[in-house]
Amino acid sequence: MNRFFYTMVAALLLPALAGAQKPVAAHPDLSGLWLFSIGLPSTALKKEVNGKVEINRIDASGRRAVRSDVPGALPSAPGPSYKPEFQAKVKHLSDNESKLDPVFYCDRPGIPRIGSPRRIIQFSNEVVFLYEDISGDPYRVIPTDGRPHRKDGNPSYYGDSVGHWEGDTLVVESTNFVEETWFGEEGYFHSDAMRVTERLWRVGENLAYQATVDDPKVLTAPWTMPVRVVKPSNEPLEESPRCIETDGPKLLNNDHHGQR
Amino acid sequence: MPWIPKGEMTVRQKVCGVLPALIILLATVSLWAHHSPSAIFDMSKRITMAGTLTKIDWVNPHIVVHIDGKAEDGKAKSWVFESNPPAWFRRVGVGRADFAKSIGQAVKVEGVGAKDGSLYGYLQKITFADGNSLELTDASDTPR
Repeated sequence: MNRFFYTMVAALLLPALAGAQKPVAAHPDLSGLWLFSIGLPSTALKKEVNGKVEINRIDASGRRAVRSDVPGALPSAPGPSYKPEFQAKVKHLSDNESKLDPVFYCDRPGIPRIGSPRRIIQFSNEVVFLYEDISGDPYRVIPTDGRPHRKDGNPSYYGDSVGHWEGDTLVVESTNFVEETWFGEEGYFHSDAMRVTERLWRVGENLAYQATVDDPKVLTAPWTMPVRVVKPSNEPLEESPRCIETDGPKLLNNDHHGQR
Repeated sequence: MPWIPKGEMTVRQKVCGVLPALIILLATVSLWAHHSPSAIFDMSKRITMAGTLTKIDWVNPHIVVHIDGKAEDGKAKSWVFESNPPAWFRRVGVGRADFAKSIGQAVKVEGVGAKDGSLYGYLQKITFADGNSLELTDASDTPR
């Protein structure tokens, strides 16, 4: 009798135990530290110590568009297409970028301008994005459990985000933005109707990042940016020093700069 | 040869309208300000000065270096130089301490001056009292 009982228990339990060891619908793990992807000067540093000279360069590859084919990348365009009535405004903002670009006054870049996250922490029901930026160090907690966007949230710089998996790609959809941000250096303003879709997936040991901006109020069609491939990093996160802009009064013309 | 501080510190502001085109070009590509550099700085207004490093602000969007010098007329002049952002310095292996250890000591600074004529510049090179130096240089040959 006892033997029969234990045999039955084992027969019932074993498949369940075996199943527990195989996660259902396993997704690739995007967790980890990734190379910075904010705009920094391309300058190199020449350092002379006790007569020994070394040249140190930064690796800005995390913010550069990848020219070659990246598996999984969507077709992209170099820039967004604004409705005819907004083209003069975009040009004006771009031509006067040095004076008008909000990020030049320590304002937050928002997404997708901030680029890919510096650190990703992935759980089964949510993903956490951590950033380092000149304006401060935002975070995003993105549910991936199928819940819809919040209905009671206030507009924000990084929006309200929900994520889901499409195959091996994490797709993050964000809405409910403040209107202050530009989504690109060239005066790319947007309305409160902006929706941003970010796609993140692995390409070997690297992270691929591609964003699509849609704003039916000002754009003629959604704009998908060129894909970027971001290398893993060993550099730990570090709190960014506070941002204090002092150049404003010294600006004597409106030159476009196009860098951040 | 390392720069050796002299007993008498003087500010020598060299405003050169006619510099070789190469130097202007180098200054242009190695200078970063998140606003257009040409909107703030006169790229031909080269500044070389010696003085005392009094303060270093490790802030975004630019670090700020404070130098007290003595002008040739004997009057004290406090100069302020901005330079690249902290995140850039961190990634080329330089921290606040690399500057702060020289607070109160003689330094030599090279850069370009503000268009508005104020005692404000963009720091491109700093040479510390021990002869060691940090210099922003052209990285156009960075492998892509």
